[in-house]
Amino acid sequence: MRISIENFTKSFGDTTVIEDMSLEIGDGEMLALLGPSGCGKSTTLFAICGIHRMNAGRLLFGDADVTEVSSQKRNVGVVFQNYALYPHMNVYENIAFPLKVRKESRAEVDRKVQEIADLVHIGELLQRRPVQLSGGQQQRVALARALIRKPDILLLDEPLANLDAKLRLEMRSEIRRIQLATGITAVLVTHDQVEAMSMCDRIAIMDKGRIVQLSTPKDMYENPSSAFVAGFLGNPPIAFLEGTVADGGFRLANSRVTLPVPSGIELPGDGAPIRFGVRPEFFQPGNPLKVSGKVSFVEIQGREELYDVTLENGAVLRSIQAQSAGFRLGEDVSWGIAQDKVLAFGPDGNRL
Amino acid sequence: MTSSNFRSWPLFLVLGVISMPLVIMYVYLFVDTVTDTTAGSLIPDRFTLHHWRFLWEEPETGRVSIWTVTLNTFIFAICTTLINVSASVTAGYALSRLNMPFKRFFLGGILTLHAFPTITLIISIFLILQMIGLYNTLIGVILVKTALELPFGIWIMKGFFDNVPWEIEMAGLQDGASRFTVWWKLVLPQVQPGVAALAVFVFLSAWSEFILPQVLAPSGSAQVLSTYLSNLIFDDIKPDFNMFKSVGVFYALPVIVVYLIFNKQLMNIYGGGTKG
Amino acid sequence: MRRAHLLGLGFLSPALAIILMLFLIPVLLTVMFSFTNMSTATGISGGAYEINAASLRKLSDAGAQESFVETLGKEAFVVDDAGITAAAAAYGEQFANEVGSQMLGERFDSRRDLERAFRKLKSRPRSTRDIKKAADLFKRSVLNVRFETAGGLLDAVTGNGIEMTPDQQELLTKTIYTGWTWTSDNFALMAQIPYVWRVAGNTLMYVVLTLAASVGLGLFLAITTFYLPSGTATTFRAIWFFPRILPNVIFVLMWKWLAWDTGFLSSLLGNFGVPPRNWMLDTGANAWVFIVLINGIVGASLGMILFGSAIKSIPQSMLHASEVDGASRWQQIRYIILPQLRWPIMFICAYSTLSLLTSFEYILLSTDGGPGGATEVWSLMAFHTALDNYAGNLQYGLGAAMALMLVIVGILASLVYLRIFNFNDLVAKPRIEQ
Ligand SMILES: Nc1ncnc2c1ncn2[C@@H]1O[C@H](COP(=O)(O)OP(=O)(O)OP(=O)(O)O)[C@@H](O)[C@H]1O
Ligand SMILES: [Mg+2]
Repeated sequence: MRISIENFTKSFGDTTVIEDMSLEIGDGEMLALLGPSGCGKSTTLFAICGIHRMNAGRLLFGDADVTEVSSQKRNVGVVFQNYALYPHMNVYENIAFPLKVRKESRAEVDRKVQEIADLVHIGELLQRRPVQLSGGQQQRVALARALIRKPDILLLDEPLANLDAKLRLEMRSEIRRIQLATGITAVLVTHDQVEAMSMCDRIAIMDKGRIVQLSTPKDMYENPSSAFVAGFLGNPPIAFLEGTVADGGFRLANSRVTLPVPSGIELPGDGAPIRFGVRPEFFQPGNPLKVSGKVSFVEIQGREELYDVTLENGAVLRSIQAQSAGFRLGEDVSWGIAQDKVLAFGPDGNRL
Repeated sequence: MTSSNFRSWPLFLVLGVISMPLVIMYVYLFVDTVTDTTAGSLIPDRFTLHHWRFLWEEPETGRVSIWTVTLNTFIFAICTTLINVSASVTAGYALSRLNMPFKRFFLGGILTLHAFPTITLIISIFLILQMIGLYNTLIGVILVKTALELPFGIWIMKGFFDNVPWEIEMAGLQDGASRFTVWWKLVLPQVQPGVAALAVFVFLSAWSEFILPQVLAPSGSAQVLSTYLSNLIFDDIKPDFNMFKSVGVFYALPVIVVYLIFNKQLMNIYGGGTKG
Repeated sequence: MRRAHLLGLGFLSPALAIILMLFLIPVLLTVMFSFTNMSTATGISGGAYEINAASLRKLSDAGAQESFVETLGKEAFVVDDAGITAAAAAYGEQFANEVGSQMLGERFDSRRDLERAFRKLKSRPRSTRDIKKAADLFKRSVLNVRFETAGGLLDAVTGNGIEMTPDQQELLTKTIYTGWTWTSDNFALMAQIPYVWRVAGNTLMYVVLTLAASVGLGLFLAITTFYLPSGTATTFRAIWFFPRILPNVIFVLMWKWLAWDTGFLSSLLGNFGVPPRNWMLDTGANAWVFIVLINGIVGASLGMILFGSAIKSIPQSMLHASEVDGASRWQQIRYIILPQLRWPIMFICAYSTLSLLTSFEYILLSTDGGPGGATEVWSLMAFHTALDNYAGNLQYGLGAAMALMLVIVGILASLVYLRIFNFNDLVAKPRIEQ
């Protein structure tokens, strides 16, 4: 089912948390709401499921206006951040709860619980209490409870935040599998960019209650609309160089070094401050556009090695290289930037 | 919580109706002290300070001045609070943190003592006080009230001490302080809110106490406000409710003031400090 | 004993001293007193022995032979040194000497006999009136004389020439003692009080109804205020919390005013032609309504606070989850909130049962057990018997025995509760061993 959020505004008392947000999520699509803590992701989610009402704007499911419809009638499944399993009910009762409040027959409930439990692989755990389950199992129960009454929409609020690294990896593909299997429209709230990029069809990056960019993961990584988005996506993160426009090139701050600007970028006038963003994979020994500095940090990650290089003016560039590189801390190096991959940002942080 | 999925006005309405009798009683409690009402009517029609004359008129013969009684009540409540809090703070700490023999026994005993409210003790205490000559004195009432509230105080303080992280004490000991210094300088400041809450609680409880003074110091110069007011009510053949209420409001003023200042602590000790 | 132990005991000692003095000793004394017949009449210190009209009646009630009682009650005339000295002062040495030498030690059952004996003496006073008076000087009686010890009494009785068997002696000293004595009769006595079963029933009814009212109302208040916006909720909580901290004399005063025949209810209903009356005391049923309301509201205050903080500690997301799962408000209360209040509810029930069983202040102040004993409960009965009864004879011993019943129930109940509420969790081992 398609979700349309139109001019959504939400405030708590005097503070406006979401301002004039519009967002369209296609049928069967899985969309990530990505952003730093406190940017209003959960608030948006709560507005979609009806726990919060909108102060202004409209919400449509398909063609139906549900702005004033109560949570109970929206038919939205939600997986909460800490799963919100009911501690006094066992797994079976937890999953059956949405059916129980609708007074469905026992046989019907039994059948549906069994079916959904098989889908999320927890068929043997039905008699346990939530406290007797591991994090991943709780997660699956929460998912089953959200899905049992065949909701039109599935909302997931940081579903993986409480899991350890290995489980997180496993559940990532698991959730995606189930979403694809059911063909449900899903919204995933997260502040983990890897999660967003690996699981979702599109990502909406939010900052301070606004959507700053909405795009596919690949496009967003390659063409961030602002320094904020560029900084948010990518691990290890992009490095920024501060500087000014000088003679049609980029003059590094506190330095004589001037770098040429990639073609197709419209520069402001001479002397205007701008920023260069260089992703670690595009700062390599083999690239032509050399800058020199000293290796100031080395992190061995197993398959790859991560270096920080401090330039003469104190700016830091990051580089990720294959394991065999073997540079040492304090070594003087002169590596190159892939010129056409450089991202340039204006003083307001927007992409040039 | 205000969920947007539920309307609150039906609840407001029901709660409002149910609260009505209490609200009426509160309102009339205050209004009646400064007004007169024609018999049979519900609406006061004259303003008067006549009902408050007990504050400035000489007491009738055989009655004690309200000011003496008020002073007594303050002495009673404050002494009870001081003794009770001091004993609770030390004992609570001992039971929460210190090594000692028979600890289980003491704890169980204190819990069991809760089961002995006033009536089970008051008869023998009445006789003891008569024998040792403390009948009809404030000292007797203070001691007894202190003792009766002590199990609760110890229990509450033990709870507060239980919540102080052990690390604070361990660090203090590592720094070379004695166990006593650690308690006095490091742990006690941590439970200050608890001490305040207990003090407020005991003060209010003593201030309101009726049955102990009524039995152990019923007459004459050791009267407190509760016995004063109840004597007034019981004595009268033709009750003057406006005057009773004036005395009542006078008596309740400190309670109201304490409530306004300390209502957080009170909610805390009534709610969190599981009284049992 | 290790130093660390001393520190612990030292910290505990002030509290221990107070508890010992004013808790344990009184409890022991309650046990002790319940095995005595102490009352206003016997006094609380020692008593004395005195034969008088009342004690003679008691003696014959206790089964002494009529003749024995009669002898004790009769006066006798005994010629002894005291009498002779008195006679010397009134009628001269000569008469006294003559009486002394001829009649010392003789006993006469009536004055007439002694007068007759006097008339035989030479130096007797002249007039008949003087002889009568002289005879009166020798009148001896154990009636209305206080003896501190049983021995003194027995000596005096024997001194009057009354012979007693040992049985009679024992019966006499036991019955006419005015002080208190040890007895185990109180419990039998208690069972014989005609209204005692009614009081027990009242107590049960009081505990059950009040508990139901306060838990029900407390839950209702906690849940409704939870769903209200915080400003409104705070106001309502204040309204319902106040009865708990308001001195009980004042709280009851407000209800009395509400119920009095010139009070609010009567005035209000007067507008509809209902004759004024004291709504609290006119019928037993009404009295019960007020008792349950007054005590129930005070209990509900505590319940509201406890349940309220328990509801607040339920994670918000759990409530949100139930809402998106489709639960109506009633279903949310029924399936999510109430099940998580199980422990607080059990706790309140356990705690309140005990305190209600022994509390009587609100009843004392409002109905005082009336009308006609309809609302008399066990603890109030103990209070009335021992400390406040109309007849004026306060029966401390019997009252203590009644209170002892409550002590026993209390101890049993708390032992059960210690089981339920897992005592071992409460006694964690200290982590610093010095
Ligand atoms: N009930 C509320 N009352 C007042 N302010 C609120 C309320 N709920 C959220 N806020 C504020 O709204 C802003 C957005 O909150 P929200 O929970 O949507 O953030 P979030 O993006 O989900 O953050 P996180 O990643 O930490 O969960 C925050 O600044 C928060 O303080
Ligand atoms: Mg959030």
